[in-house]
Amino acid sequence: MIAFLSFAIVVLLFTVLVLTAKASEVATELKDGVRSYTNQSRINGYLLLGFLVLMFAGSAYAFKELMPVMIPKAASVHGEKTDYLFNMTMIIILVVAVLTQAALFYFAYRYNESRVNEAYFYAHNNTLEIVWTIIPTIVLTVLIVMGMYEWFTIFTRDRDKNMLVIEATGKQFNWMIRYSGKDGKFGERIIDTAHVTPTNELGINWNDPKSHDDFMSDKLYLVKGRPTLMKLGAQDVIHSFYLPHFRVKMDCVPGTPTEFYFTPTMTTEEMRQYLSTQPWWQTINPETGQPRWQTFKYELACAELCGKSHFGMEREVIVVTQNEYDEWLNKQTSLYDATIKPALAKDSTAVAPVAAGADSSKPGEKKPTAMLIKK
Amino acid sequence: MNTAHSVEHAGADTDHIHGHEEHHHEETFLTKYIFSQDHKMISKQFLITGMFWGVVGGLLSVLFRLQLGWPNETFPFLETFLGKWAEGGRISQEFYYALITMHGTILVFFVLTGGLSGTFANLLIPFQVGSRDMASPFINMLSYWFFLSAGVVMLFSFFIQTGPASGGWTAYPPLNGLRNTGVNLGSGLGFDMWALGMTLFIASSLMGALNYITTVLNLRTKGMTMMRLPLSVWALLFTAIVGVLSFPALLAGVVLLEFDRLLDTSFYLNNIIINGQLLGYKGGSPILFEHLFWFLGHPEVYIIILPAMGIVSEVLAVHSRKPIFGYKAMIISLMAILILSFIVWAHHMFVTGLNPNLGAIFTLFTLLIAIPSAIKVFNWIGTIWRGKIRLTAAALFAIGFVSMFISGGLTGIILGNSSIDIQLHDTMFVVAHFHIVMGIAAFFGMFAGVYHWFPRLYGRFMNETLGQIHFYITLIGSYCIFFPMHFMTGLPRRYYSYANFDTFNNFNNLAAFMSIVAIVVFLAQLLFLVNFFYSIFKGRKLEGEYANPWDSNTLEWTAPVERLHGNWPGDIPEVYRWPYDYSVNGKPFTPQNVPLKDGEAAH
Ligand code: HEM
Ligand SMILES: [Cu+2]
Ligand SMILES: [Cu+2]
Repeated sequence: MIAFLSFAIVVLLFTVLVLTAKASEVATELKDGVRSYTNQSRINGYLLLGFLVLMFAGSAYAFKELMPVMIPKAASVHGEKTDYLFNMTMIIILVVAVLTQAALFYFAYRYNESRVNEAYFYAHNNTLEIVWTIIPTIVLTVLIVMGMYEWFTIFTRDRDKNMLVIEATGKQFNWMIRYSGKDGKFGERIIDTAHVTPTNELGINWNDPKSHDDFMSDKLYLVKGRPTLMKLGAQDVIHSFYLPHFRVKMDCVPGTPTEFYFTPTMTTEEMRQYLSTQPWWQTINPETGQPRWQTFKYELACAELCGKSHFGMEREVIVVTQNEYDEWLNKQTSLYDATIKPALAKDSTAVAPVAAGADSSKPGEKKPTAMLIKK
Repeated sequence: MNTAHSVEHAGADTDHIHGHEEHHHEETFLTKYIFSQDHKMISKQFLITGMFWGVVGGLLSVLFRLQLGWPNETFPFLETFLGKWAEGGRISQEFYYALITMHGTILVFFVLTGGLSGTFANLLIPFQVGSRDMASPFINMLSYWFFLSAGVVMLFSFFIQTGPASGGWTAYPPLNGLRNTGVNLGSGLGFDMWALGMTLFIASSLMGALNYITTVLNLRTKGMTMMRLPLSVWALLFTAIVGVLSFPALLAGVVLLEFDRLLDTSFYLNNIIINGQLLGYKGGSPILFEHLFWFLGHPEVYIIILPAMGIVSEVLAVHSRKPIFGYKAMIISLMAILILSFIVWAHHMFVTGLNPNLGAIFTLFTLLIAIPSAIKVFNWIGTIWRGKIRLTAAALFAIGFVSMFISGGLTGIILGNSSIDIQLHDTMFVVAHFHIVMGIAAFFGMFAGVYHWFPRLYGRFMNETLGQIHFYITLIGSYCIFFPMHFMTGLPRRYYSYANFDTFNNFNNLAAFMSIVAIVVFLAQLLFLVNFFYSIFKGRKLEGEYANPWDSNTLEWTAPVERLHGNWPGDIPEVYRWPYDYSVNGKPFTPQNVPLKDGEAAH
């Protein structure tokens, strides 16, 4: 019923509009048998000028209302730099936008046919062309140089020996986050049909002793001030490892490893403290009944369309101090202890095929496997 | 380029177009309206088919905006219409992704490439270079029929059991590289139909483009040197060149993708593991597809915007009663854009793990492309400065185009800087950028062109008042939708709902606002459709046998109002001057076919 009503109203509105428009068209004046657009130009001149004012006012209003709601300041070393670049570029383009939009709409108003006797034949001016080529070139050169400098810093700087290495693997629709445990070294992974099984999706080689203290975590724990290397991969389709608060994003590509190196600068607690000083974050979140800053958390998301539940790949990220991290680390049970050891104790053959390991993978097995799954 | 002087009687100058006397050689309904080889009719076919796709694509966006604006509401009428795709009145996840995928595909390719280029290249190139038709009217007709059949295939994919393609308009593997395995991987038959549809589309596009290039280079009338071509023709020529050079890469990409899907090859697949099962694909790389895709994908956005730029240059000059400012600078900047557009594609891939040196090089070229873009904007503003602007619907849309192009182009400078793009890639900021600079701007260019050349197409005017109402709603509405979207910086795009994330879940009121405006803007486009079809039959008529309603200099207005196969009843007019002699020599305008006066220097 409501649908029908709104449909009827829309049709009615349309009809009225069309009829009035038709009438106004008949009424436009004819000068010497030629249709004149002068009146329309006058009206549209004012309307365009009005639009210019509206656009500036609306934009200012949007800045005022929406800026405070945006994702807060960066919590990583490089993120502060790229935010600075973002803000700087934003200011430059705002200036350019205001000047050019103002010129465009003001000229459209000022030189509309009702206000001018004759157009001024003016076809080109090479000096002007050169000037307005060179100025953007200089500005852009500055931006390019600054951006590239930061880019190379992010991706090619020397790595800290003491860095924390974490492995994250995307799959539909989840993240598998693996830590290297107390030895700081990951157990080897072998991607072949002998190692990769439904109970060992990552293909961990349990014969590698380094794998025995590796553990999986639901949450991504990071250490304030400690450089972190994310080793990234994907099982099935492309995902993208995205930490919005840290300005970290890197695709996870099946069959091709990628990585991202960064340093968090604020613990979760510190970020909450900082946000508690921000007016918008002090407002009450209707869902929790608490000020927003109190329930703030860092999050991990997927940023590359990976299927129908792409929007659900959420994991909490917690940044702590080194001490708190060590404490947490001590409490973790390794994957080996949790799954392999008990199985071994029960039935010594259970892991035999896995132990048989590397040499059981034959290239000849390729097609049958694929066919099997694809049916 | 002395070809220009020898081609007056080349091309379509065969017996049946010689003048009034014998031109009523039997044109049946079928040859006139359906299998027409006349560029004007083909132009109308492209336009109306494009409009159909515009409505479909727009409607899809209204549907997914319902989900984005009111993620917690149900709309029972959706279930009535969509059945299992909207059980309980809520669009399903699968269908949501199908909607955005098809929305992107349809608007990018079927409306703004096929519809826009097809319409205006067909209408303007033969008329404005002074030719009786395209170099090959037959291939031109085929181009339309491939376009139509591509569309039919796409349309049918909506009606199959598993639904249309749903892995994004960018069609990345492995999501789209494996046929449906029963888990959540990509799409099934729908994607194969997408690939078939795109293949037909690319064929159509290549046939069209080769024709446009040949016609511009070889069939110019006597005196029409390259430097006397209107900017609309220059832009359409460059568009065609970009298309010919880049579409084949996409075709290759899509064909290899189908090999992976249907023949189990591994061009894009390596070590795929599903539920702990290692599939047998070895050695391919999904990133290869991204390179192939964006090698077309980026030039594609210029295929969309260049025709709009050409139309706007022409419309602004005519309605300002002034020459386009910096004609040569405009051509040079078009050429710079053409060249640069081929070496910036990896700016869509900054965070795929590509070599940092590559990232740096692509940052360099990407930001350089802002220079010719800026030059064009300054020249458009220079064109209206001290003009005598007739603010008709066409001129308004042209001005709106410049405004949109400024707003959207500037955010490109932020995105183009790779280190900033780490955060912005695949977020709503990108969505805001490309909808303003490409989506809305190209639509504005198209509308400017339709309002301006409607009299040439149908011998009648569109209703001005309705056109102007259409303009203001669309201008204000588009900014209301896409300007605030920039503040959603960091919110990932292609999200069915933000409710799973505290970080992203703070813009729900804004999303509802944008959805309401989107519906209003969609309805305003129906106003345009009403105006268009009403005016075809009932619009105010052009008076006289010949008419030049906007006092324009270009050759299309020297042909009679009545549709004539071959365009001009007698000889093709000869050209003596450039197309921008407005408000000079004491005359408001001097058409290109008017000989130079004694002592007058050619421009
Ligand atoms: C001023 C020059 C421009 C620059 C520097 C620029 C830069 C960029 C960059 C770097 C991206 C990738 C963002 C990302 O995904 O992370 C992008 C996306 C895009 N740009 Fe531009 N752009 C410019 C102008 C244009 C123009 C004129 C158009 C179209 C007419 C356009 C259409 C697009 C589209 C369609 C996308 C997104 C495609 C997708 O991911 O689905 N851009 N732009
Ligand atoms: Cu995802
Ligand atoms: Cu691009």
